[in-house]
Amino acid sequence: MAGVSRRDLLRGGAGLALGAGGLAGCQLNSGVQADAGDTRKPFAKKIDGDLAYFNWAEFINPDLIKGFEKKYGVKVRESNFDSMPAMMSKLRAGIEYDLIFPTAEFAQRLIRGNQLRVIDRDKLRAAENVFSAFDQPWYDRNSAHTTPYTMYATGIGYRADKIDSMTGSWRDLVNPDADGRSFMLDDFQEGIGMANLVNGYELNSVDPEELDRSKDFLVDLKPDLRGFSSDTTTNMTSGNAWIQHLWNGDVVNIRNQVDNPEDFKFQKCDEGIPVGSDTLAIPVNAKHPGTALMFIDYVLEPENAAANVEWIGYPMPYRGGAEEAFAGLVKDDPTIAVTVNDLDNGQQFENLEGAGRKAWDRIWTQVKVA
Amino acid sequence: MSEQRFASRFLLPGAVWLLLFFLVPLGILLAISFGTTDDLGNSLYGWHPSNYADAFDPLFAPVLLRSVGYAFATVVLCLVIGYPIAYYIARFGGRRKNALIALVVLPFFVNYLVRTYAWVAILGDEGVFNGAANTNIRFLNTPYAVVGGLVYGYLAFMILPIYAALDRMDPALIEAGKDLYGSRWNTFRHVTFPHTFQGVLAGGVLVFLPAVGDFVSAQLLGGPDEYMVGNLIQQQFFAAENWPFGAALTTLMMGFLLIFMVMYLRSAAKASREATA
Repeated sequence: MAGVSRRDLLRGGAGLALGAGGLAGCQLNSGVQADAGDTRKPFAKKIDGDLAYFNWAEFINPDLIKGFEKKYGVKVRESNFDSMPAMMSKLRAGIEYDLIFPTAEFAQRLIRGNQLRVIDRDKLRAAENVFSAFDQPWYDRNSAHTTPYTMYATGIGYRADKIDSMTGSWRDLVNPDADGRSFMLDDFQEGIGMANLVNGYELNSVDPEELDRSKDFLVDLKPDLRGFSSDTTTNMTSGNAWIQHLWNGDVVNIRNQVDNPEDFKFQKCDEGIPVGSDTLAIPVNAKHPGTALMFIDYVLEPENAAANVEWIGYPMPYRGGAEEAFAGLVKDDPTIAVTVNDLDNGQQFENLEGAGRKAWDRIWTQVKVA
Repeated sequence: MSEQRFASRFLLPGAVWLLLFFLVPLGILLAISFGTTDDLGNSLYGWHPSNYADAFDPLFAPVLLRSVGYAFATVVLCLVIGYPIAYYIARFGGRRKNALIALVVLPFFVNYLVRTYAWVAILGDEGVFNGAANTNIRFLNTPYAVVGGLVYGYLAFMILPIYAALDRMDPALIEAGKDLYGSRWNTFRHVTFPHTFQGVLAGGVLVFLPAVGDFVSAQLLGGPDEYMVGNLIQQQFFAAENWPFGAALTTLMMGFLLIFMVMYLRSAAKASREATA
């Protein structure tokens, strides 16, 4: 029973509440219902209203937003999520965003569910700057729905002025020198993925026995952790974290906010690290896809991309300004580098579906309540 | 217009409000709690009582006990802190009574989440307090910080009903207690406190119910071992993308809290019967 509107849902709920409804057996769908045709509706690349923008916090140079508003006389209404599942839950609720920033595997999941608009790449002036490796990304055939935004690697950020006994292992997360000032990312993929790597399993393993041992590893870490938190910049700049499980670019962002940037270092761990990429995409129910496409074009402009890379600290896979800007950052600190080769050779999070995803969620809950 | 029709017209807005914003969402919650999800995480309605069976996993028992423990500690602390404040305002507030009550309520104009974030900045290792006092105390990510956050968040719910009870009380009763050679403590114990007991009970329930389901305080001020039921439910909705299980946990939690609510309502009804008898 597809194509059910929110009103039907409300009616269904009311029916049950009034004791009138036997909903059991009748499969009603919530969420944004769309078919392939909805994703292919053409739209012009022109300003068609204010931009409802939905991204991680501190994941774009604020000057870009101000510059876009000024150049085109529109407002960018910014909201933030702190994890991919949190982004998904807002999308499922039917909130109409014009531009979102899903990671590759979540983009694939959204594409499979007909949740992203098809983008006419020919309309993007600077699209030819995008690395050709992204012409046929694994998560989006022909890059029809997404534009690559950044590449990332996950590792450990640490205070070199406090800790001089890093070993190169993920086990450093609970390095005793941190004296209990260690935070793990509050992110089921990064948590379980890291444990899988430490145990020598595939990053995306869904093998029940392997997952069980990865769960044990995480539970054993807990007594020495100060918390689960993805608020990495705040944790490290406030001094509450001396060790923080984080993404490479966060270190640059943190260094830009402290007086002693040389004390904040990044470690890529020997057991292997997750690498991945983020994308720009337009949800199927976007009210202003034209403005969103203008914004994507604006981000791709070499000078804007360069300014963005210097601020967020992540490489953007575009030739020209962005490439040079990141090369400049890497010259100062080679550990933060991520390249297209790393993506090809490294382990990337996959879009877990069905029983596999449920198993990861169950284990993450078990780690949290343990 | 008959009196009855007149009354029913006045009932209508309230009834519509309750239907739209209480019964309908509750119905949706119940419907989802028996559902499952598709690959996008959307809820599919159906008949899956297993969500409820999963909720009784003994794994969750410590989380529930911890939440009840924190909420109980919060009630006790709110009472110890709130009663003297309410007493002072009611008995000695004079012309400034309303202004003082306004001050108690004032922080509520700022979002609870924002206020809790402020505590993160104040109590951090290199935060405002440790900086000003030149100390090195680790406040954050401890059970004390979580309970402290809850007390701070819900204190006004304790102060207001106690204040209302004290304000209603005839001060002559206290004077009578003293006239009969009751010490200050005995007067308080045998006259003032029993007279305001319903206010204390109301405050206790008003603090306990939101505190036991709170997730903000544990999320921002707690560590890995301060996980509460609210965090568990929040995780099902925003991390595990498992709304049906989250809805089942919510439904059970509401049932559990209803026990306290019913106990309170019965006690309040009994007290008001005794008062009019």
